Amino acid sequence: MVPDAEDYTFLCPPSEEEQEQEPIYRNHSYYGPGYTFHLPAGAGRHYQQQYDDMYFLRLAKLKPAVEQVATDAWDGLIIAGEKVRRVDRVLDVRQGELCWVAGTVYMHLPMKPNILDDLNQENFTSAPPPRLTYTDPSDPSLTQIMMEDESGRLRLTGKFLQSTQLATGAIIAALGTENADGDFEVIDIKLPDLAPQLQRWGGNAPLAGKEHGKIAFVSGLEITGTSSDTLALELLTDYLLGYTGFSGNAENSPSLGSSKISRLIIAGNSIGANIIEDVAVTSFGDAEAEEAQPRKYGYDCSAYNAAPITELDNFLAEILPSIPITLMPGEKDPANFSLPQQGIHRTMFPQAREYSAPPVRGDEKPEVSWFDSVTNPWDGDVEGWRVWGCSGQNVDDVLRYIPIEGDDSSPEKETDSNARMRIMEAMLRWRCGVPTAPDTIWSYPYQSEEPYVIESCPHIFFAGNQPQFKTTTIEGGVPPRLDGDTEMTGAADSSDTARVRLLALPKFSETGELILVDTETLEVEVVRFGVFNGQEEQK
Amino acid sequence: MDSKLYLAENVLNERRLVTYRLLSRALKVHADRAKHILFEFHRNENAKKPKTVHATYVISGIQKAPEPTPTNGHADDEDEMMQSSPYSTGSLPDEDASDSIRTTSIILAREEDLEDAKATFQSISTIHVYSLEATTLPDLNVLVDASREIARTHEQEDPLECGKQWGMIQNRDVRRRTGAHPPPPPAAPSAKAPAGKALKPSTESMVPSKRPLQQEASPAKAEATKLDKPMSEPPSATNSQSSSKPSGKAAPAKQKGNIFSSFAKAKPKTKTPAPAEPATPLAEDASEEEAEELFPDSTDKVAAGTRENRKEREEKLKKMMDDDDDEAADEEMPDADEEPREPTPVEQPPPSKPAELKEEVTIQGGRRRGKRQVMKKKTVKDEEGYLVTREEATWESFSEDEPVPKKKPAVNVPKGKAGKAAGQGNIMSFFGKK
Repeated sequence: MVPDAEDYTFLCPPSEEEQEQEPIYRNHSYYGPGYTFHLPAGAGRHYQQQYDDMYFLRLAKLKPAVEQVATDAWDGLIIAGEKVRRVDRVLDVRQGELCWVAGTVYMHLPMKPNILDDLNQENFTSAPPPRLTYTDPSDPSLTQIMMEDESGRLRLTGKFLQSTQLATGAIIAALGTENADGDFEVIDIKLPDLAPQLQRWGGNAPLAGKEHGKIAFVSGLEITGTSSDTLALELLTDYLLGYTGFSGNAENSPSLGSSKISRLIIAGNSIGANIIEDVAVTSFGDAEAEEAQPRKYGYDCSAYNAAPITELDNFLAEILPSIPITLMPGEKDPANFSLPQQGIHRTMFPQAREYSAPPVRGDEKPEVSWFDSVTNPWDGDVEGWRVWGCSGQNVDDVLRYIPIEGDDSSPEKETDSNARMRIMEAMLRWRCGVPTAPDTIWSYPYQSEEPYVIESCPHIFFAGNQPQFKTTTIEGGVPPRLDGDTEMTGAADSSDTARVRLLALPKFSETGELILVDTETLEVEVVRFGVFNGQEEQK
Repeated sequence: MDSKLYLAENVLNERRLVTYRLLSRALKVHADRAKHILFEFHRNENAKKPKTVHATYVISGIQKAPEPTPTNGHADDEDEMMQSSPYSTGSLPDEDASDSIRTTSIILAREEDLEDAKATFQSISTIHVYSLEATTLPDLNVLVDASREIARTHEQEDPLECGKQWGMIQNRDVRRRTGAHPPPPPAAPSAKAPAGKALKPSTESMVPSKRPLQQEASPAKAEATKLDKPMSEPPSATNSQSSSKPSGKAAPAKQKGNIFSSFAKAKPKTKTPAPAEPATPLAEDASEEEAEELFPDSTDKVAAGTRENRKEREEKLKKMMDDDDDEAADEEMPDADEEPREPTPVEQPPPSKPAELKEEVTIQGGRRRGKRQVMKKKTVKDEEGYLVTREEATWESFSEDEPVPKKKPAVNVPKGKAGKAAGQGNIMSFFGKK
């Protein structure tokens, strides 16, 4: 049973002379969090506004971009002897005339949550139950796609639409004609495509040397406070702190690898769901019994289970001395539910908050925190790269707009994660990170800004809490078929073609995976933590 | 050797789990060395008598791709350059590029499974002992207990100072706020409030000027200190709160003297809260107060102002809850602002207060006998089901050997008393008087 000591130099008795180990130092983390999604606190936050401002602003921002793309593509185009005309407003489309028009997509789906239904049931305070899809697989004809702008709405039809994916809130330009039914028969679609991308370090001189570092991403820790989920977390902690393996021993020693990590980004759902639900159910169930007890602010303290958050705090406090953390809230975390979720409040973390910057007063510029509890979605600069990420609600929701491939309700994992990648790509090409807010994702009613529009293309675009890890790189630029000579263009502007690393981050609680992104090449690496259940498997 | 003794005692005698991190903490050695020590102990003991010690190992390396991973994760990862694809033509690359992403696995395995586990690896970069235990572990999750033990027994060791010794990867940029080191979570609430206060003078200088407003609040504070005595009657002011609240409030951790000494002198028979008592109610308070405690205020405000503050804040919070404002609990709410405003109503009632306590004294042959009025606390449930604590004046007889309370001779104000009993009356009486 005892493994041969000769096999591995690391399984050996301690050497007699106690040599001093050289401490390993981590690289400096160059970090600039963005405050795009930071909402004003307290009285500055209003909920009376109408949501149409958001759509209006989104259209105003993106229409010029998409019209530019469409003009480049369709200007002077002659189809079947008819010249394509540009129409400014959707209501100006004339029947039988070949034209193109830009507007916001609105999709009417049979299963979409409807506030009126909720009102009918008089339970509009509860969150809509999660649905797999808003489409009705049995009758695809119930799905209606419309395009609207400030003037009106136009129903889109045509075979072309079936080969594309669209979601409410995307801004597109469509080419086609209005048919006898008054529907717009679409023959082609253009999108704003990737936003202009700055170079690394924002085009400025690089602040760091060329040495390779890593940015670590993890999501869906789903800590429940029970021991069953803590072991993988324990291994993760050991790894991040550099205890795993032997320092300075092998070339590819894990501890050497982890010393390259300059920042950990936790993308949502750090707290396990079931605990919170259990508590919710119990506290809901005996609501009447509670009435008799003294309660503070209508809240029953006894139903609160502090274990998950304490465990998370312990985890954070343990690794913070070595590694800076950016913590995003997720769907299941103790933050507000509607996007943008504001950072989990530091009082939740009695230990970890020592590492966060002091609270901001008034108009002071917030200090960058070592332990940064940020918003979701969040954008920022990490090691010079522009990062835009969400805890996954955006992708999950757009996925519900897309008919599930295959007839069974449980889509195959592979196609599912491919679809998710495509959605993430589409979001970047729509230049809108959360297109379906405020339609089917609850959102703060912005009035004078539309932060979900991606004005500057990120280098890393991630979505947390996806069922499976997946990554790819997409490139922007002009579609090749237009300029004819792809190779030449590719060679000419390879330097300023937007290039984005997409990351679908898996749930750590299910996969035990930590994702590392190289800071120089944006190459991705996976570290998986697990327990070998040899005996159980044999049973 | 120290380490052998430690291991023999813990693993063999007490049959506990020892992980390398626990050993490294306990012996204050580098984690790498701890792994070697564990290995040596395991080998030596099993050489003497097989199966006395079991081990778990951590293997790291690259696992074979086709092997189903021990966790339920999927190994199909892909990384391909997508050509500048015209949007949404479904042009994602096919699924055969799973080797392009380097996947390192870090797997924990029992001694018995070690060979099987190693077989799943394509290449192993390191392998080391994770823990030693007396018997084989049916469930590896018990290993978590060891780390909980670390958290429990070695909580005082500051990772920033000791990390180097343990072999933790260091970071030169780490920024931690100065000020009180928060106590460990389990003991936190009860330890916090008193500790925070006790620590305060020493940490004072370290506190960065985080709460500049606090200083501005000091005039109000001075007042508050002055009015500390009247504040000995807070329960009646806040009787709409839960019953635990007033007692917590009436028993400040800091025996500042003026309230309690006078109280104690006044009525030895009425029960002054025992020093031990505050612990529990305070625990509750502490959690609400947390925002404050990490940044110990730079003045003696805590002592004098907290109770007041707490009360105000609670009222304020309550108001905010009514307004449905979710920001209510936000610590960024500048609590110092409210200071000048709110205390005024609270301050006012005291003048009427001392006057209430009367005493009738007869002196007979050098012995003083008589009756005097003392305030007693009474907790009742009102019609809404709230526990209300109010103070009521009751007569109590005394004789000379009891210390005479330093109370002003009686001016009977029965009206004021009635108002007090009604609850929020003190504010009303304040307005009424004006």
